Amino acid sequence: MSVENPAAVEIADLMKEFPSSFRRKMFRAVDGVSLRIEPGEVYGLIGPNGSGKSTTMKALLGLVVPTSGVCKVFGYDSMKVDARQFVGFLPENPYFYKHQTAEETLKFYGRLCEMRGKVLASRIDELLELMSLEDARKCRLGGYSKGMLQRVGLAQALIQKPQLVVLDEPTAGVDPVGSRQIRDLIFQLKEQGTTVFLCSHLLDQVQEVCDRVGIIFNGKMVQQGSLSELTSVDHQTELLLDGANEELIAKVKALVADSGAEVLSSGASRKSLENLFIDIAKQYGEVAR
Amino acid sequence: MVIAGHTFTQLVRMKVFYFLVVFAVIVFGLQFVDMSSLGAVKAVEQNLRVMKGAVFFAINLFSVILALSATALLLPKDVEDRTLYTILCKPVPRLDYLIGKLLGVIGLVGIGLLVMDGLFCVLLHNRVDAIIVEQTEALTRMGRSAEVIEQQAELVRAQGVTWNIQAGVLAVFLKAIVVASVALLVSTFSTSTIFTIIITVVVVLIGLIQAEARDYFLHQQSLGMSSPMLEMTRWIALLFPDFKLLGIENGVINGEKVSLRLAGQVVLVGVLYSAIYTVLSWFVFRRKEL
Repeated sequence: MSVENPAAVEIADLMKEFPSSFRRKMFRAVDGVSLRIEPGEVYGLIGPNGSGKSTTMKALLGLVVPTSGVCKVFGYDSMKVDARQFVGFLPENPYFYKHQTAEETLKFYGRLCEMRGKVLASRIDELLELMSLEDARKCRLGGYSKGMLQRVGLAQALIQKPQLVVLDEPTAGVDPVGSRQIRDLIFQLKEQGTTVFLCSHLLDQVQEVCDRVGIIFNGKMVQQGSLSELTSVDHQTELLLDGANEELIAKVKALVADSGAEVLSSGASRKSLENLFIDIAKQYGEVAR
Repeated sequence: MVIAGHTFTQLVRMKVFYFLVVFAVIVFGLQFVDMSSLGAVKAVEQNLRVMKGAVFFAINLFSVILALSATALLLPKDVEDRTLYTILCKPVPRLDYLIGKLLGVIGLVGIGLLVMDGLFCVLLHNRVDAIIVEQTEALTRMGRSAEVIEQQAELVRAQGVTWNIQAGVLAVFLKAIVVASVALLVSTFSTSTIFTIIITVVVVLIGLIQAEARDYFLHQQSLGMSSPMLEMTRWIALLFPDFKLLGIENGVINGEKVSLRLAGQVVLVGVLYSAIYTVLSWFVFRRKEL
């Protein structure tokens, strides 16, 4: 590492302008964005379409040149090839060479990362198993479903065991079961100490997996911080009870009223539609292989 | 080498080698061109030249089309399919990516040329053998001495399979490499395959006629007629490849001997052109925004 204890990602005053259709005026896609992601953290970048999320990610990956500002990956300038040895990237709606099988695709990307021989072969086996693609390992990608392609994309992103994984809309077009698998994988990566930089429209998912979140709007970072900081509502408290009978609830409500506070809502706890779908899918044995 | 190997496999799986079947049909068809009416020795030699010319034309055409279309297809497709994102996000320098793509195409053209060269040599060898047999019979009937018959056979053999033919095929290969390098350069700033093909074809056409144009305007100047076109052709010579410098096939077809020095010069020119266009491609591509 070039500096001691560098951040996994460090973006400082990033600005990116593109020539507009009339050329004379520049379109500013990213305007002074700064963020820092510590090693092992899961960071979510959220914002509406065209807000500058993907451009920020591309600048971090050296795919676009910043107009001004700096992007660093573990202390390395992101425009330098060295920075990319630590990074795995899954683009939104990834396409791969259709003539290749999943195994060949992973072999190709592994070899690009200087992996060879038994190390590469065992890593491919490991990833195909992790992504539930063993049965389709010899099939050409031309016949894969969108969800399967997304899993191949994730596998290629993880091939060299990167310390930073950048995921651009990882669950776009994936069914709830596949989406859950990707979420579980992010948790798994976090447990292993891998840093994850995630960009998603699915706010529930971001909330579920991310330690910290940044909200970008019109190219500007409007808010960022830990989830608890951003989502807590001052002066309001949630109480979730299990096995409470009517009598206990009445007592709690009376206590609350006596103390001068107010019960805003109460009722049976509800599972999300996603959880309901997953439960049914498991029950009928349709969990994706 | 990883990208080169992959590019080669990709192109092979796109079934581009099917063009070899068309070439084989052409070569096979040439076997049946009737030579019985060409009795005179000179006419026989001329017939061999025509045949060599036709095959060299086909080899040139197929290798240039292959080099151009294969190269023009690769980079814009990778950008369009976003496979380029995942490749360049790995520790792969952009120059390595470009050189890998070019080497993959060169490998493909090289193997295609080897096959075409092999078919050509078999055809030519068979034809020369058949002519020698025919001539020997005809000259024997005419009561010519064995020495004269052998001399005529040597003349015919000189038009057959020689190292000069291989030098001609090498020149075609170098031409295809230059065309692939030009297509690579164009594809670094173009947004589509069709645009890359059109621009490269224009560059190749200019490269083919620029020497003649320059000679013409130089001739005009020597006659005292000043022309701004002469200055323009000099600028064109700086920007566009001069394919005449690589064109030794005409001499080969006529049975002229290609000296080692000439072959070396042709290789040098081909490699130099290719290197220049590859460096220019890298210059454009190194900061290309994806």
